[in-house]
Amino acid sequence: MVKGQLRIALAGNANVGKSVIFNQLTGLNQIVGNWPGKTVERAEGTLFFEDHKIRIIDLPGIYSLSTFSMEEIVSRDYVAVEKPDVIINVVDASALERNLYFTLQLLELEAPIIVDLNQVDFAAKKGLRIDVEKLSEALGVPVVPTVAISGSGINEMLSTVIAVTSGEKKLEPLKVRYGKETEERVEALEKLVYEKLPQICSVYNARWIAVKLLERDLDVSGKLKNFENGKDVLGYAEKLAAELEKIHGEPSPVVMASERYGLANRIAMEVTIVEAPPRISLEQKLDAVTTHKILGYPILVAIVASMFALIFVGGNFLSAGLEFVFEKLIFYVEGVLSSFLPDIATELVSKGVLDGVVAGITIALPYIVPFYIILALLEDSGYLPRAAFLMDNLMHKIGLHGKAFIPLMLGYGCSVPACIGCRIMETERERFLAGFVVILIPCAARTVIILGLVGRFVGLPAALALYAFDLVLVFVLGRIAFKALPGEPVGLIMEMPAYKKPSIRNIMMKTWSRTKDFIYIALPIIVAGSVTIEALSLSGFINYVVEAATPLISGWLGLPAATSIPLIFGILRKELALILLQNALGQQGMVIQDLTSIQMIVFSLVTMIYIPCIATIATCVREFGWRKALATTIVDIALAFILGGLAYRLLSLVMIT
Amino acid sequence: MRGRRRRLRKKSNPRNLENVVSLTCLCDGEMAVIAYTVGGFGLVRRLAEMGLTPGVKVKVIRKGLLHGPFEIEVRGVALALGYGVASRVFVRPLRADSDG
Ligand SMILES: Nc1nc2c(ncn2[C@@H]2O[C@H](COP(=O)(O)OP(=O)(O)OP(=O)(O)O)[C@@H](O)[C@H]2O)c(=O)[nH]1
Ligand SMILES: [Mg+2]
Repeated sequence: MVKGQLRIALAGNANVGKSVIFNQLTGLNQIVGNWPGKTVERAEGTLFFEDHKIRIIDLPGIYSLSTFSMEEIVSRDYVAVEKPDVIINVVDASALERNLYFTLQLLELEAPIIVDLNQVDFAAKKGLRIDVEKLSEALGVPVVPTVAISGSGINEMLSTVIAVTSGEKKLEPLKVRYGKETEERVEALEKLVYEKLPQICSVYNARWIAVKLLERDLDVSGKLKNFENGKDVLGYAEKLAAELEKIHGEPSPVVMASERYGLANRIAMEVTIVEAPPRISLEQKLDAVTTHKILGYPILVAIVASMFALIFVGGNFLSAGLEFVFEKLIFYVEGVLSSFLPDIATELVSKGVLDGVVAGITIALPYIVPFYIILALLEDSGYLPRAAFLMDNLMHKIGLHGKAFIPLMLGYGCSVPACIGCRIMETERERFLAGFVVILIPCAARTVIILGLVGRFVGLPAALALYAFDLVLVFVLGRIAFKALPGEPVGLIMEMPAYKKPSIRNIMMKTWSRTKDFIYIALPIIVAGSVTIEALSLSGFINYVVEAATPLISGWLGLPAATSIPLIFGILRKELALILLQNALGQQGMVIQDLTSIQMIVFSLVTMIYIPCIATIATCVREFGWRKALATTIVDIALAFILGGLAYRLLSLVMIT
Repeated sequence: MRGRRRRLRKKSNPRNLENVVSLTCLCDGEMAVIAYTVGGFGLVRRLAEMGLTPGVKVKVIRKGLLHGPFEIEVRGVALALGYGVASRVFVRPLRADSDG
């Protein structure tokens, strides 16, 4: 029998392992990796444990209950307002003091928490052992040690959750108290809040409100303004905060943070046993080289270039093999089909459906899968925050800071999650600036075109040059956008996680879930596009489109008029542009190799820039509003055609002389 | 820019300014104790919440190229700070022989 449903949230600092635990519990595939700020939206899943139905909520990482970027507000609101039955506070055992700072805030909120002491294996590697009993005693809540990546401790944690919700295990949470001067003021303010604002006290506890007001929390004081007595309370809070600041000579939030950290430090010192002195590990040496102020840059370039080279070699090999297999298969299936279907239907099925499927599998998949594996490796190792560190200076030139380089790198995979990932930026303006440049980064689908067309038929150096050109473009456009959207850029403040050996299981899971998305979402779109085009061409309608586009496509870009079709359909999925290019040329009695090198480069350049695919446009609308999405789309189209035409003329000049 | 920074420092005058330098004056591997941070309300609070509170010990792990970011260790965690942020953090350097 299923008893009532429980709601349990995973909360804690960034990069402590919340999503790994969430995936373990729910069997879902939340994004996991080794940099802070992966989870930017809350995710939910269901789990049945013993006879309980449990809803698990994975939250973005936060460092405090005062909030900064968009994803942190999600977490705070969930924890403070929606009040789950239990909060599993995931804590990184290897950085206990900083993690306890957040735990103390949860205790202040009087939230029902249990502490999941995660990454005990990593702490052990650093020579640290945590006395679990003592920590549990100090905090007054259960503490369960876990190693999320191997799943050890997860069951014990669940049992503890049940024991707490059933009342079998009582929480006697530590009461966080401040130093004398601060404590007096907190208590005085708490009393006033309790008397004057009973409505608020039914939602939040009065002491927490008092603490937040003393800290000058804008969100909480904004909430009070609407109440009748709110003004009095705010006035009193302001007076107390000013007194505190006078005594300590620091802003009140710093005073309070100092005191909380003092307590966190005492607890951490008490329960941490240093078993072995820290020693220089391989990871640290790797860190020193890859983050080196000079060496770091050639290494970054080498990593990115070899990533594409590897994908190119692997992709070509796989593609050739698959083509060989499928050619035979298609021939056979066509024979079978034509024996019982009318000619026109056979044509539609074989040219539309079959060619679509085969092209998806033999052209796109071989490049995409190796790509996903390499990207997952980069994400899991902890290299991304290092790249962000190295690029901080350069990113400032386009009004962003180093952290924006992370979604930029993810953009090479797919623009959609990369765009959403821009939420790690602190302000609205930076989020849009980052999103704008992220869209210009060639995603895996565009890589299929660049490597599959230019790389294969013109040469790898030409393809790499396209990528390099794209980066230059990103910086030039970013710079222009920065000038157009003025504002003081925020500085970089980011935790730098240690390098970790990527877990094979994580990599496989991630590659599979992304490949699955390709098969379930992209492949049907590719097939639908290919069938539509086949129907259009059988009906003769296509000639009108081609004719109408001729001046632009042939006159300005110097491409065969037939390429207008793949360019138009590329909006659905960028891979389609390459797949349909084959078809479209075929109908004119041409093959891809009939295109000149210049035409291939121009075609790839245009598809690389001209328009984000519909999925990306939809994401932009959701993230930035339709105005900005529309503006971005128009700018990108105009830019693609201007640059395409210029490239055609320039390259023609260079190649003739 | 420079004028603004000076004004902010003046505002925090009651503090003891002896031996205090900006974090950006330190070299790789040097240790120091945080004196105070200056800047907008949000920045000061954020830094405090990341553990950069007065009196805490920090170590410069590395500096980026030119006016690049700083990587520091504080409370057992490595933190990257942009140059602009680092220049708003003021510290008292610890001499190599007295840091313990
Ligand atoms: N050694 C070790 N690594 C772990 C453990 N748990 C998680 N990790 C690694 O820590 C990193 C972060 O894990 P995530 O689950 O993505 O972290 P998160 O808390 O969801 O992070 P955000 O969503 O960014 O806030 C990943 O690289 C994991 O493989 C553990 O118990 N031991
Ligand atoms: Mg997460």
